[in-house]
Amino acid sequence: MMVRVSGALLRFTDYRRVISVAAPTVEAALTRLADEYQPLKPVLFDREGRVRATHRIFLNGEPLKPEQLTRPAGDADSVDLLLAISGG
Amino acid sequence: MPRWDAYQMPVDTGLFTPLGLQPTAVCRLGFNAAGRWLSEHALSHRRLVTEYRTGFVLWSAQLIFDEPVSFFDSDCLEMKVTGRIRGGGTQFECEVEVDSARGTTTRMQACCVPLRLDGDPALSGAPARLGPEVMEAFLPGEIEIRPYRSPTPGLRAAIVRDGTVLARRRTPFVIHRHQCEVADQWYWPEAVSLASGGREELVRVESGRVPGLRLALSTPLRRLDLLFNRPFFLFDEGAVLSSALKWQGRLVFVHELVGIEGGEARALAIEQFTLPPEHAWN
Repeated sequence: MMVRVSGALLRFTDYRRVISVAAPTVEAALTRLADEYQPLKPVLFDREGRVRATHRIFLNGEPLKPEQLTRPAGDADSVDLLLAISGG
Repeated sequence: MPRWDAYQMPVDTGLFTPLGLQPTAVCRLGFNAAGRWLSEHALSHRRLVTEYRTGFVLWSAQLIFDEPVSFFDSDCLEMKVTGRIRGGGTQFECEVEVDSARGTTTRMQACCVPLRLDGDPALSGAPARLGPEVMEAFLPGEIEIRPYRSPTPGLRAAIVRDGTVLARRRTPFVIHRHQCEVADQWYWPEAVSLASGGREELVRVESGRVPGLRLALSTPLRRLDLLFNRPFFLFDEGAVLSSALKWQGRLVFVHELVGIEGGEARALAIEQFTLPPEHAWN
């Protein structure tokens, strides 16, 4: 699937905005993305390995709740990863 | 009584237009003044972020400009600033006065919403009440239970309801890093720059049809109201949707800053210019 990264997260993916990730679910795609881009890992996941609540994740434009991240996704799907707000 | 700080700020030409203080510069000076007050009397902005996991995002601001301040008036601006907690710890409000040697004043009142930072390098966070360890840095007279209410939504409703639309214009933009703060999120005074740019484009394009719009280039801004819903981030694309209206004898510009995805405006800016009484609209 294609993962689109934007805004404040770009510096953690070496400024790549669209990244192809092979994974069976959205959650697996985010894990592989963080494996490939290590600086993204502590940004995306908390110490318990859960996706931080400060992120908004969309599958084909549909917002996903944390419990929906296990939803299957394939090559034709796209995931948008947004940071809702920063406190700089 | 809340504590006030007063200090001098040397002027440079970049703070001004030919008409007076740059509104964006006032916002930058004002935010810096609030940080100075916090550092002096409570906790520095850096310590709030790094030690207390507390950030601030601007929610609403009002700027009122008296008679214009010129670069040529004096060597320094006289800055005065105070801060207080409102809404039982759900808001931080600051008041800033910028005085000139001629005695004219620009006033800024701004309200920030505290964020509880998640602790990650992106400084992500969510709105939260200030913790007791932060609240105790303020004097009792600097903690107000009553929340700050933004006048901006009501002002827009009144202008849209009673005003006469003169022209509209859409001005696209992309957020670049020089417009951002430490978290690659736009630095809020950039909203003022983008709105001003939207106004000037509208006037540049439409003033042949509506000559009265040129007053927005030849007279200084008298009032600016801001409201923020969502930030823009690095490389986010958006547009300023500007409407010029005649309202209560004033020339008013309502700017909605929207993302390319559409939906609710991420920020709203309302600029008011006072018209000379003799001015006749064409």
